[in-house]
Amino acid sequence: MQAKEIAQYALKALMESGAEKAKCVLTSSEKNELNLEADNINLLRTTFNNGLGLKVIKGNCIGNISINKTDKDSIDQAVKDVLELAKASQPDDAHDISPMQEAAEFSYGVDSPDLDKMYQRLVEFQQETKKRYPTTILEGCMVDYNRTTSYILNSNGVDFKETKGSYNFMAMFTSKEDGNVSSFNYDSVSLKNLDKPLIETAQFDTLLRQSGEQTVLKPLEGKFVGDVIVTPNAFDSFLGSYLSYLGDYYMISGSSVFKDQVGEQIAHESLSISSNPTSELLADRDFVTSGGYRAEDLKIIENGKLNTYLLSQYGANKTKLENVRNDANRPFVSAGNKELAEMIKSVKKGLLLCRFSGGRPSGNGDFSGVAKNSYYIEDGKIQFPVQEVMVSGNLVEGFKNITDISSERNESGSGFIPWVQISGWTVSGK
Amino acid sequence: MLPTSLKEFENSFSGYTELRVQENRDTRITLLNGDVTSNTKSSNSGIGARVCQKGLWGFASNPEWNTESVKAVLKSAARNAKFMADKGNSQEIDFDLLKGTQSFDLTTKKSRLGQKEYIDFCKDLDDYIFKKYPKLQSRSVILANLDMEKRLLTSYGSENYSMTPRSNIVIRMSVEGNDGPCELYNFYGGLGQFEDIFTTPDALYSEIDKLHEHLIRKNEGVHAKAGEKTVVLDSDLAGILAHEAIGHTVEADIVLGGSVAREMLGKEVSSPLVTLVDFAHSYDGKTLPVPVYMDDEGTTAEDTVLIEEGILKNFMHNKESAKHFGHKATGHGRAYQFSDEPLIRMRNTAILPGKSKLEEMISSVEDGYYMLRPSNGQADSTSEFMFGVPLGYEIKNGKLGKAIKDTTISGVAFDVLKTVDMVSDEMSWGNAGMCGKKQIIPVGMGGPAIKCKLNIGGR
Repeated sequence: MQAKEIAQYALKALMESGAEKAKCVLTSSEKNELNLEADNINLLRTTFNNGLGLKVIKGNCIGNISINKTDKDSIDQAVKDVLELAKASQPDDAHDISPMQEAAEFSYGVDSPDLDKMYQRLVEFQQETKKRYPTTILEGCMVDYNRTTSYILNSNGVDFKETKGSYNFMAMFTSKEDGNVSSFNYDSVSLKNLDKPLIETAQFDTLLRQSGEQTVLKPLEGKFVGDVIVTPNAFDSFLGSYLSYLGDYYMISGSSVFKDQVGEQIAHESLSISSNPTSELLADRDFVTSGGYRAEDLKIIENGKLNTYLLSQYGANKTKLENVRNDANRPFVSAGNKELAEMIKSVKKGLLLCRFSGGRPSGNGDFSGVAKNSYYIEDGKIQFPVQEVMVSGNLVEGFKNITDISSERNESGSGFIPWVQISGWTVSGK
Repeated sequence: MLPTSLKEFENSFSGYTELRVQENRDTRITLLNGDVTSNTKSSNSGIGARVCQKGLWGFASNPEWNTESVKAVLKSAARNAKFMADKGNSQEIDFDLLKGTQSFDLTTKKSRLGQKEYIDFCKDLDDYIFKKYPKLQSRSVILANLDMEKRLLTSYGSENYSMTPRSNIVIRMSVEGNDGPCELYNFYGGLGQFEDIFTTPDALYSEIDKLHEHLIRKNEGVHAKAGEKTVVLDSDLAGILAHEAIGHTVEADIVLGGSVAREMLGKEVSSPLVTLVDFAHSYDGKTLPVPVYMDDEGTTAEDTVLIEEGILKNFMHNKESAKHFGHKATGHGRAYQFSDEPLIRMRNTAILPGKSKLEEMISSVEDGYYMLRPSNGQADSTSEFMFGVPLGYEIKNGKLGKAIKDTTISGVAFDVLKTVDMVSDEMSWGNAGMCGKKQIIPVGMGGPAIKCKLNIGGR
């Protein structure tokens, strides 16, 4: 059977076996991945996999199963097993599958990897790093090409096909000079092609330069409340926690700090956040959501006002609110008017927070953690990289206390994030 | 069912080769405020092969494990190794190849329960929480079972079979506090299939009561004060310190990548009260949370003493790094899925118990904290670490005081371990550790309580 016929066969078998509603997602993937370890390009991987995900609803009871086999016997067994799972479950009328939508096929990205080019770009990255930043050690790098084809079908008539291929690059590095070692740092990017040298993408060059500067650190004495300029990578790690307060768990459990606040000002008016999975600007795009909807770009926060919660179909049914057709994982944070250099000049006493290594923020937004690879700012100038400095505050309050957003944004291939200046967070040294 | 032997493929090996067939089976059930929000089973299985040519590696995998696909995977791995060897300028590695055979199977001998029994078990726990603590803002019960079954054959004749299950129940509760929701959770269970770990739900009731009591005290608690403090880290936190902050810095791939530990071998790196070991499979006659008898490179696993009475003794190695450093490989090459290559990983990492009593340790602190549980953690090549702490108490004049809100602790591990002046005489092991390093993988960590100085990220 061809891939689509396999998905159709599984869906038909689910319905004929007694499912009232059913969904089938069949994904096949191929990945080619070059690895560098401790400055040595040493491994090439080629991996194939399948994923067959089956969801059934019967008597308002849900069952989900996932296997990676596509032969008839394995599918027949999975169909039987998933109905048993549903039979074992408890009824909940909030379970559902996505409604009928117009059938569509989506395809983007290159069709096959250029292994020689991948190798050449990785060697070039290694050589450029050595040339520009001789004290920096590449701890690990991966450049891969990943291609997936998915068929998304359900018993309401949903029929989507999504084919995508992109390159991805990740590097982790540290620097060593005169026996002093910097904290590791890393960056990653998704790319449509390998036309540009890897060191010129995302924030690699900046972070490699900073790593070389960070072998000698200075501690800060005492603590102060000041301005923290959060870099795009650090802001991205805060954003995930912040947006989770709008999602199913916190909303269904009734513990969201943003309960009953759609239309309200929840953040500073300079902040707008969208999730645009279909944007042509991205290398890593999504056209179908995990819930089986055709993906739509979404304004989550506009000029500081909350536009929508981020509820799945189940979460929406449970809370009697609207669901979104968006997995909220392609962040576009609006750019500001001021350049980063100008923002730094405006800081009397503060921190350039380049990497945040912190505990999971509390349900009320409280967080604390270590300011890694970060710099002390005083009188508008970056003074020195800091050692063992912690940052604490509250995310909800912090997003209200934004004082500036940079005009530059980091392009990671899966989102656009600027530098964000926040006041009122506590910076504590020894 | 995995094939009972891979011997028939020996003739298709080309040079140094590892061939592994593996299946990971997961079950996950989530009840949120009494509703079943997830009811899932999954299986991911297939064949993976790794080949070395001129010191460079090729890996390939495929979900099918028929004769044709296994041969195709072996061919693809060899082709990838050749691609690397043709591009590179390296030499063959003269690996130490000690052949071994191991077999380890923790499949339950009891009848397996069905999904309905698992859901009923969770529902019973949820009902207990709901009836006894009706004022909770939210509650969730999660069941997570993972079976990892593997069979390995190497070109030098090592063979391994293992079926390593883990079963956990996670209870999470929240109450409405003055400054927003206050949450707490805990894991129960560990090594073994569900039927061998959990008997009846009521056996967990007293644990739920303890968790609720901690939650109420936390909700009435205070924010920790930021700065350097004396703390008593209970075993869960001492375990994550051993794993994250020390363990990762002495993994040989991290050492080669620039870890501060490279120049410290044979030197004093901690208080002499500290002896830190990565155990292969057992300690004090008991099987540990993640028993490894042979790793995924075919090396028979042995304990690795990392720090002995304050002196850094060893790094953790795979075959290649052991050869590079001229050390002995002790079985740290582990892979999570069939489609993953082995990486240098820890198994069961712990500081060994000392002679102090926990009560004495707490009573010796004038102004500090007793930290009980970690959430997440991260370490660095400098040995600087950070752990989230969702549960802890103040210590004032030698006595436990108010609970503290969520906080974070940090420090430079090799400095922090030099401040250790008391180590408790009791040992306990965490049951749900997962480590992320390119791939995730189950790990064990544990230890006694230790008293030391570190940074608190409070207000």
